[in-house]
Amino acid sequence: MKLDKVTRNKITRDALISIFLFALPVLLMLLSFKISGQRPWKQQAATAKVSR
Amino acid sequence: MLQYIESIFTHLSTWGLPVIMLIVGIAEFSFGLYEQRWTRNERVLDIVCFVVPKIVVRPFVAYVGLLLLPKFLPGAKGAFAWVPFWWGFAIIAVADDLTQYWYHRLHHQVPWLWRFHRTHHSAPYMGMAMASRQNIIYTIFFSQIYLTTTLVYLGLGYPVLFVTGVKSLITTAAHSSIKWDKPFYTVKWLKPIGWVMERLISTPATHHAHHADTSDDGVGYYKGNFGNMFFIWDIIFGTGIITRQYPSGYGIKHYKEEEWYSQFLWPIFKSKREGSELSLHGPMVGDSVEASK
Repeated sequence: MKLDKVTRNKITRDALISIFLFALPVLLMLLSFKISGQRPWKQQAATAKVSR
Repeated sequence: MLQYIESIFTHLSTWGLPVIMLIVGIAEFSFGLYEQRWTRNERVLDIVCFVVPKIVVRPFVAYVGLLLLPKFLPGAKGAFAWVPFWWGFAIIAVADDLTQYWYHRLHHQVPWLWRFHRTHHSAPYMGMAMASRQNIIYTIFFSQIYLTTTLVYLGLGYPVLFVTGVKSLITTAAHSSIKWDKPFYTVKWLKPIGWVMERLISTPATHHAHHADTSDDGVGYYKGNFGNMFFIWDIIFGTGIITRQYPSGYGIKHYKEEEWYSQFLWPIFKSKREGSELSLHGPMVGDSVEASK
């Protein structure tokens, strides 16, 4: 029993949309850093250096 | 206050949720919500599915997290610990639940995968008893568990604790035979909240429809409503329907009450029921056999 063509096409289309959805919160976070000027990863690196 | 909330979610992820499920399950049983359909075979299957993954699968996932990841991703431990809590929460909520949406949807839409998920749908009732009911292969390959474990390793453990806690409460509540969402469709001032809620998260109405034994009544929709925590994926992809009603029957029409061990351990153990999807030469999808008659 094979996957029908209509379902296969829908799965492909929705999978492509999903890539964008997976990336969306990451992109929004990066955008918020750009707007606010925050660099939290630098803070972590500095803290790690101090604690060494 | 924050410590108090943290403690709730820490306990929820260990003994809290099983205790909630037991209490609600006893209440459902006492109210007769399993409608005499909880036979010995169903009882054994439900209890085995509730207990065994907690003993076998959790230690295996812990093994992946503690031993395998440091080997495959050395030096990456805590690499994203700098991600602010609420951004971490959003990233994990989407990553975890959208991955589960796909895992679930593919088990319904790709014929050869169906039999690994069938056990969850064979229950002719809804409730705590069947909420954990899954074939062991489906549970072991539960894709988002590994994704979430990796995110914990990368330093997002704190938001993971809260996302998995909220998610487990929503998915458990959606399986309950107590129709707690009904007031949101009938009480006037609750209706706007209900409108948002039923589109955002899974509710008994939308998830019961997914477990219906037929779609002929316009309420049941076992070929859709795949969302687990979020229902919004079904809205985006057009795989959901919202009726605010509950199906009259649950399970699968071609259910042959297969032995509990074959439902739990297929394809390692096959069913002896003739014509069963789980039998040696049984059909891949019983629906197609019914339709061709």
